[in-house]
Amino acid sequence: MLDSFMMGLELAFRLDTFAMMGVGLVLGMVVGALPGFTTVMAMAVLLPLSFFLEPLVGIPFLIGVYKGGIFGGSIPAILVSMPGTGAAVATTFDGPALTKKKQPRKALEMALFSSVFGDLSSDVITILAIGPIALVAMQIGPPELASVLFLSLVIITITGGGVFVKGLLMMTLGLFISLIGQDPIGALSRFTFDFFAIKSGIPLLPMLIGLFALPEILLAVEKKATSMIREKLDTKEGGPLTWGELKRCFRTMCRSTVIGTTVGMIPGVGQVVAAFMGYAAAKNASSHPETFGKGELEGIAAAESANNAVNGPTLVPLLTLGIPGDNVTAILLGAFVAQGLRPGPQLFNEQGSLVYAILIAMVMANILFLVLGYFLVPYFAKVVTIQKGILLPLTVVFAFAGSYVFRSDPLDLIILAVFGVFGYIAKKLHFDVTPLVMGFILGPILEYSFGQTVTMSQGNIFGYILTERPITVAIVVATPVLTYYLWRRSARLRSDFGVTSD
Amino acid sequence: MRVLRSCVPVFDTCMNFNTVSAIGFIAFSILLFVIIPSQIEEPLLIMGQSPGLDPALFPQIVAGAFGLLGVWFLVKSRKMAEPNGLSALDKEAIMNVSVSVAVFIAYALLMEPLGFIPSSALMIAGLSIFYGIRNYLMVVCVALAVPIVTYFIFTKGLKVFLPEMPDL
Repeated sequence: MLDSFMMGLELAFRLDTFAMMGVGLVLGMVVGALPGFTTVMAMAVLLPLSFFLEPLVGIPFLIGVYKGGIFGGSIPAILVSMPGTGAAVATTFDGPALTKKKQPRKALEMALFSSVFGDLSSDVITILAIGPIALVAMQIGPPELASVLFLSLVIITITGGGVFVKGLLMMTLGLFISLIGQDPIGALSRFTFDFFAIKSGIPLLPMLIGLFALPEILLAVEKKATSMIREKLDTKEGGPLTWGELKRCFRTMCRSTVIGTTVGMIPGVGQVVAAFMGYAAAKNASSHPETFGKGELEGIAAAESANNAVNGPTLVPLLTLGIPGDNVTAILLGAFVAQGLRPGPQLFNEQGSLVYAILIAMVMANILFLVLGYFLVPYFAKVVTIQKGILLPLTVVFAFAGSYVFRSDPLDLIILAVFGVFGYIAKKLHFDVTPLVMGFILGPILEYSFGQTVTMSQGNIFGYILTERPITVAIVVATPVLTYYLWRRSARLRSDFGVTSD
Repeated sequence: MRVLRSCVPVFDTCMNFNTVSAIGFIAFSILLFVIIPSQIEEPLLIMGQSPGLDPALFPQIVAGAFGLLGVWFLVKSRKMAEPNGLSALDKEAIMNVSVSVAVFIAYALLMEPLGFIPSSALMIAGLSIFYGIRNYLMVVCVALAVPIVTYFIFTKGLKVFLPEMPDL
């Protein structure tokens, strides 16, 4: 194994590998920053380009696109409260608040440093522990996935802002919206009212952009006379992140990296859950949780470290077992196959040096990412120097364009507008839309995993889980305990509006 | 200690927007239970049994959750003192928000018939002027340049489709 590692080290240090990784990173960042474009779309579009390159250039190129895309989604999330990817939703809690305080550069740099930290750390852990990680991945099945998803939903709801029961209701509403369309197991129609346009369900991206971006625009225009007409043009985009601020968030970044790495080992869970879990854990561990959601740098550090820490371990089931855990790794599998390589145990035995070279290239991509990102961030931050009266309509253009290109369906624009109005009303009535989004994203996976569990248990679900799935038992037992602990902690910190007294 | 709260006394109880929302969620729960049998396709039966999970199970769980949570919310809402952000809006805010929403809807409906570039240009120009920008030259330049550049980047660079201008 050490020989393979050393040979991989030699193979990975090539100028063309670095160059194409850099190109991939920048392309990924730009595409990830465009609402409506997912990292998966970027990788799918650029996959054929990798066919004409050698494996050690083409695969790191796609990995660069992947890493750049995950960070890229946080750029519009911070600047205009519009998450470019689902993983950037947690970044909208504190990013836009920092932008409003004229500190977008600080927020973007924190997102960059914490993304690199999380990604780099998890890549190193992946290289050192690729064998044990593969063993853990093999133990995770539908029952474990269903129980982890349920726990995630509850934790995210408790640690979000506002009254717990209102959060639960919004999560349930998200679950209901995810039911519209076809059920994930038998593809049977539900709640479509024979309306063909929603037969495949409500699309995620228009809903996401509608719920997060449009309400911010509507809130900004409520007092347009004072906020925009008399606005003085501010040409400063705020100072850079200081070393002290970065050091202050170090513990948070470590915690989030551990969370993201753990989540990354579970096929199918993904960056979205990791980002929220990282954020929730940081808020609960903080000595000043009331600052979260109001422009707290630690909030950005927590979400970004966690969601990028998923990147390394998520490749492990692909490389060691040949099993892609999600659609990103499925595209990478396509890239491997097109190059004449078949990921799996035999690849490790026959071309171990190549596998290690790819893993080492992932580590180097992070260093390149840091350098490129550091130079590009000030240019992105200049967006806030644009007058709001112009910036808001431009945001609308990108929101609508991004929603349209997702499926080229004009109905998506109506969905965008409807959810925009809904999000605005929810904000005014103190309903947090984050649990709604999480319920929508995780609902189908939860139902599918639960359905698979029922099938595997052959009708005796409790007996099956108690006797054959100890990890599931542990998670199920931990759920009410953690729920109660976090609810008690949140109750002490909840806003004064939660309860009246006479 | 008396705390200011937005509350309408009805039948000796305190009705606020949270109470109304709670009743709404309970009503939605009942509605879901009523429509589930007609709105969920029946699975095929094999040997008298449907394979896999019943597609109506999760909807029933969700409907039940709405009901139980709605009742919890109803009880809690009587003690809540959150201000109603909607009723606090003044005439200017209502006008600004209503006009913006109307423009969004018009933009959504007109993007395909007019094409991406013309509809976006009209929307940018209209909203910028409504929001108070009086540098008309800048408005016109931005309203033309941004949609055109965006269109070419998306369609030629990223190979995705945006509505074209109709043939005149």
